[in-house]
Amino acid sequence: MNGQLLAQSLVLGILTGGLYGLTSVGLSLIFGIMRIINIAHAALIVLGSYLALALFRSFGLDPLLSILLLIPFFLLLGGAIQWGILDKLSSKDLTLTVLATFGVAIIVEGLQGAIWSSTYVSIRTPYSLSSVQVAGLYIPVVRVMAGLASFVLLAAVFVLLYRTNLGRAIRATTQNRTAAQLVGVHAGFVTTVAFAAGLAMAGAAGPLLGMLYSFYPATHWLLIGKLLAIVVLGGLGSLTGTFAAALVLGVAEQVAGVTLPLEWGPMLFYVLLFGTLIVRPQGFFGAVRRGSL
Amino acid sequence: MSSGNVLEMRQLFAGYGSGGDILRGVDLQIEEGDFMCLIGPNGAGKSTLLRTISGLVKPRQGSIQFRGQEIGGLRPDRVFRLGLAHVPQGRSTFPDMSVWENVLMGAYTLHDRRIRQERLEQACAMFPIVERQRNKVAGLLSGGEQKQVEMARATMTGARMILLDEPTLGLEPRASRTVVEKMQELNASGVTILLVEQNARTGLAASRTGCVMELGRIKLQGHGPTLLQDPEVKRLYLGQGGTMTAPRPPTGQVVA
Repeated sequence: MNGQLLAQSLVLGILTGGLYGLTSVGLSLIFGIMRIINIAHAALIVLGSYLALALFRSFGLDPLLSILLLIPFFLLLGGAIQWGILDKLSSKDLTLTVLATFGVAIIVEGLQGAIWSSTYVSIRTPYSLSSVQVAGLYIPVVRVMAGLASFVLLAAVFVLLYRTNLGRAIRATTQNRTAAQLVGVHAGFVTTVAFAAGLAMAGAAGPLLGMLYSFYPATHWLLIGKLLAIVVLGGLGSLTGTFAAALVLGVAEQVAGVTLPLEWGPMLFYVLLFGTLIVRPQGFFGAVRRGSL
Repeated sequence: MSSGNVLEMRQLFAGYGSGGDILRGVDLQIEEGDFMCLIGPNGAGKSTLLRTISGLVKPRQGSIQFRGQEIGGLRPDRVFRLGLAHVPQGRSTFPDMSVWENVLMGAYTLHDRRIRQERLEQACAMFPIVERQRNKVAGLLSGGEQKQVEMARATMTGARMILLDEPTLGLEPRASRTVVEKMQELNASGVTILLVEQNARTGLAASRTGCVMELGRIKLQGHGPTLLQDPEVKRLYLGQGGTMTAPRPPTGQVVA
């Protein structure tokens, strides 16, 4: 294969990896603090795509700008789901919450079908078919925009988590809930904030994915599998690990796309996942120390 | 507060989930500035008592007053904000954070930058380990070092009272001694201390007053060193006296 094609797929891979990072770091954040797997995560990403499409069609709002509206909407939605459903269930039985997020996924998918029908759609902006030329490589504008927007949003989340009091409280609650409560952290509130932030990341990723790929209500089943693979590969509960795994899988997917037969694509995530887990069962940055999830 | 008691419990009952009562009517008063050691066999309810005071367990009945204010059933973060800190049993650092971030978390409820800085300096003065290991990940410290970080963290808000649940458990002797010294220093600086200790001898020797808990109630209460001499306490918790000596071999002849 030629070097240019490889360079092109590397750049595309990093951009895609950023988008995978935005979607999976939110899932990892939620898992870390609540110990539940949010099966509805991808369904809510697709909801973000549909809402961006609706805003674009009705008001001509650019999908990138719609992110600014979707973030507060998903923060509120996340707060409502956590406070209204998950919090009530988790005090009774933690496994019920997984079932509940599965239920939310089904409901969101069903509502999307009822409102927007179950056929393929995509967000076509005036610049959807343009490319930019960087160092002799042609990269579609939407890929650049989606990748860069993802990195900016991820950077904001990491600043929130590592540089603010609230972020420190979220990490403290994730690492030792009891100890966090005993230094004055209202664990219930912080958990709700973290869940809402995770959903806001999902919602923000919606328009970005919608600009790149066509989608329909059941698309999320394909996506959630990939996201779970990324979270496990990165090491359960480690946000930097999740981000690293997202980049690795993003690049691997793009490189495989130009080097391997087409049929290999869907398998790639899981082959890499099992390969890594055999050598390193705790994932990239997984907890080795006692109680350090 | 007329009585001079910083903490008062009356007829306190508590337990977990749908299980039976672990605390079965605890009556206990602790004077301001005291260093009290709570001893008793496994399952007596010592940890549950501390967890109920700090709000991790909800009382089923009875009252807990901290400096004249009812705190029974308050959320743990609320109790902490009132000036009552709890260092729970086992490791309770935030293992993936640096030592410095751990201690900063102790000041989570403080919003005045100047006061926070002052408290950080005080904590570093009392616990030099914080300064020495400030950038190290807390989960990689030894057990004794982690316990000191937890104690430093608990002092950050200027707590009036600290509950410590078996802080020397699993520590080597030298680390244990350091932890005991730090508790005495804290107490000397005016902080009231309620210590739960498995090793009754160490605990009672270090403290001012002591009490014995059994089956969810306070059985004996008194001056620590005096309790050490109490024949009952000696027999039950200090491994001396009748029960520990081997039965005398039978003398005389076997008849038939």
